[in-house]
Amino acid sequence: MEVSRRSFLQFATASLIPAPLFAQSMDLRIVSLDYGLASTLLSLGLPPVGISDLADWDRWVVEPTMPKSVVDIGSAFEVNFEILVTLKPDIILTTPYLDELLPKLQSVAKVVRLEIFTPGIGPILTAAIAATRKLAVELGCENEAEQFLARADVFFARCRSRLVGKNLPPVALVNFMDARHARIYSSPGLFHNVLERIGVRNAWTRESNYWGFETIGIEDLSKVTDPDARLIAFDPIPPDVLPKLAQSPLWNRLSFARPGHLSILPPALMFGMVNEAMRFAGLLTDLLEKEA
Amino acid sequence: MVSRRDNIGPAIVFLLLMCGGGVASWFLAAPAMSEMARPDYDVTRMVFTYSTLPRLATALIAGAALALSGALFQQVLRNPLADPSTLGVSAGANLALVVTSLFLPDLLGAGRDLVALIGSATAAAIVVSLGARRGFSPYSLVLSGLVLSLWCGGLAAILTYLNQRYLSSLFIWGAGSLAQQSWVIPLSLLWKLAIIAIGCAFAMRPLSLLDLGESSSTALGVRLVRLRFVVVALAVALTAFVTSAVGVIGFIGLVAPTIARLSGARRPAQLILWSPLIGAGLLFFADSILQLVAGGLGDFLPTGAVTAIFGSPLLLALLPRLKIRHRLQQSPAFRRPRRWDGTAPVIIAAAGLLVLLMVSTFLGRDVNGGWAFTSGEFSADVLAIRIPKILAALASGAMLAVAGSILQRLTGNEMASPEVLGISAGATFGVAIALFAVAPGFSGQFAFAVAGAISVLVVIFASSRRSAFAPERVLLAGIALSAMVDAVVGVLSSTGDPRAVLLMRWMSGSTYLIEGSTAAMEVALGAVLITVSLAARRWLDILPLGPSPSAAVGIPLAKSRFALFGLAGLLTAAATLTVGPLSFIGLMGPHLAREAGLARALPQMVGAALIGGGLMVAADFVGRTIVSPYQIPAGLVSALIGAPFLMLMMRKRGVS
Repeated sequence: MEVSRRSFLQFATASLIPAPLFAQSMDLRIVSLDYGLASTLLSLGLPPVGISDLADWDRWVVEPTMPKSVVDIGSAFEVNFEILVTLKPDIILTTPYLDELLPKLQSVAKVVRLEIFTPGIGPILTAAIAATRKLAVELGCENEAEQFLARADVFFARCRSRLVGKNLPPVALVNFMDARHARIYSSPGLFHNVLERIGVRNAWTRESNYWGFETIGIEDLSKVTDPDARLIAFDPIPPDVLPKLAQSPLWNRLSFARPGHLSILPPALMFGMVNEAMRFAGLLTDLLEKEA
Repeated sequence: MVSRRDNIGPAIVFLLLMCGGGVASWFLAAPAMSEMARPDYDVTRMVFTYSTLPRLATALIAGAALALSGALFQQVLRNPLADPSTLGVSAGANLALVVTSLFLPDLLGAGRDLVALIGSATAAAIVVSLGARRGFSPYSLVLSGLVLSLWCGGLAAILTYLNQRYLSSLFIWGAGSLAQQSWVIPLSLLWKLAIIAIGCAFAMRPLSLLDLGESSSTALGVRLVRLRFVVVALAVALTAFVTSAVGVIGFIGLVAPTIARLSGARRPAQLILWSPLIGAGLLFFADSILQLVAGGLGDFLPTGAVTAIFGSPLLLALLPRLKIRHRLQQSPAFRRPRRWDGTAPVIIAAAGLLVLLMVSTFLGRDVNGGWAFTSGEFSADVLAIRIPKILAALASGAMLAVAGSILQRLTGNEMASPEVLGISAGATFGVAIALFAVAPGFSGQFAFAVAGAISVLVVIFASSRRSAFAPERVLLAGIALSAMVDAVVGVLSSTGDPRAVLLMRWMSGSTYLIEGSTAAMEVALGAVLITVSLAARRWLDILPLGPSPSAAVGIPLAKSRFALFGLAGLLTAAATLTVGPLSFIGLMGPHLAREAGLARALPQMVGAALIGGGLMVAADFVGRTIVSPYQIPAGLVSALIGAPFLMLMMRKRGVS
């Protein structure tokens, strides 16, 4: 955790320091209605003036840290327009999920709409990298984007080399919804792409929806037949889930219920972009390295 | 003693339900039974043993517990409408669990049941103490129960909504889901139910005597206060245990004893014996059918919502035959001596509304979260965003209050209102159909909302015509319909359809999407419809006096009633489009106006419009600012502000 945190911060936010050198960038007032786009802005050296759902940033995204100056503009689905107009943004970043708000947003500022999680877009990490480049073109910071993406490549490569030669178990990645259901992540999702980049096998081999997850019953985890497979669950886990699982024969007879086969990772946003992929890569590498 | 013949009816109903449930669950179980047992982790068999079977067991036990709770409430409060949902007891338990899991999660580990007990006991204490002041009249009990239920439900919804973004699927589990992962819940429920059943056996004799009337039973040695306390405590405990285990499952406690009574269980002992059996069969049947029909989705459909969907039409169908044994205690007509003529309160209300409008227009939260009067370079922009919402809130509140005044006068039922009678829910249902079937613009939505509101009105009056609009039946029909519509919308929402998000927003009464043009339309509709209502003041003054005086002064009885109900439907539909079905303004506005001494139709409607509009503006303001930059739907806020206020008022009236 310590290692990951330090190296992650180094790589992801190193660009914050040269940012003020670009006079043009300093003038842009950007608002982001998506976590992935917001963290990408930080890495491009263009911290936003406001983002949606800032209150939950630490619950789902955690890193990189949002600067104190960033203003919360309310829920993405119910953007607080009164606050939005007083922020006087030049550009609002949005995704297809908020198209309902497009006409109103366009009356406030120029809207840049980026597609990452859309049907048929393919591997999410590739889509996120493409969206990063497209965003950079819109904001005129192509150099920063290329530097950031290069740092990401180095980071993934470093994670991979840390794990090379270790006896790595395949991993199944889940978020518990309740004691009977979980979301499990696989191709073409962001986390699956990261596993491929750092050389870890996904124990869940079925293709999922374009978001990269499918909802399964706990008993379906028995379809993971490799006895060494590890189950990795992300925080936040609803408070009653672990105690209920402990009482559930459906769970207790799974190989994952044996000691040492379940790990809980701090929150990492599965619906993010390159920064979120790096955070997950770092957290997972730390975990596997420590326990290999 | 109970003769054997009296028990045949309920026994047949019970057997039919169990057979139906048995057949349905056999289809569920057959695939697992037919497979050969395998030594490794056999998914089909594991799910059958540790999910399907415990779920069926939970359905039986929870159904029995809720029905027993309903039967106990109905007997001891001598109120055929009483059940854990109409008395707010389930909602109280649920709210306590939500609050605890959000703010004191450690407590849940220690004692979920205890938390649920505290919540439901508090709810019961509030409702019963209010009822006691008015001689346990069925009206006041159910009124305060419903108010409390809505209040708890609204607050729980807001808290969940504000804290569980991204995990929105968790909503489902509060709405009554029987999905199981082990035998822990059914087994623990079983022994709790057993203990309470033993308690009931001791209370059976005095409860039976209660049927002779209060004075006779007291003469025979029944200690009334102690009996009431013990039985209510037993019923509350049953509800708390079930709610803490599986969430709110509505309607079983109302439907099961009703079916038992209709099928021939007349004596208290029979009712208390058969209700839980029928309740068990009912929930068993409902849940196995649900799983069979919904397949994989069955896990995510809240059973509580689904029981309401087919529980309420059944009740509606049986309603005309319902023999209400407990004669209604008509609360003595209460008229506050007129201190003022009509003008003074109206002027005060108008002035108050003006102040509210000013505050709500100019006061807001700034970027840093501080309170600030809007001024400076952004004021034009901010006001352009804010004013349409305020105007729409004002118009909708006023329309609902006028609709409530009309309904209360026409039905002679002081509890009547678009929300309580289910007319608002009907309008929402219309909008839901519009949204899922044709997706029209505002006028299309309005047409569908009107159709929904009017259909509910028609159903209410068709089902209660034979009883000459006895308030009790109209009310019961309304409750049944609201519950059904809420349930349908709840089920639609839990399918994960994105249009359901829009619908949820409607249900909670959000002014968020209102723009200038919509607001203008609402104001125009409001102005026209309210003017027409004011013009009908003579009818509204005379019709409540009864059919013969009305006919004597030359009022066309059928036509005028028809026109006025239609008007109420239009008003409700227009208002529901912006403030949702839960606002409570239609109940509060006319009440408050009458409290202020406005008795005749014209001043009451004007006063109600001003008060209702003001309340809605206030609700919109609070919802917009209190958790800024996040927003709470105005309809929910108005229910949260309005409900305690209304209960306070009832308290005051109870004393005098």
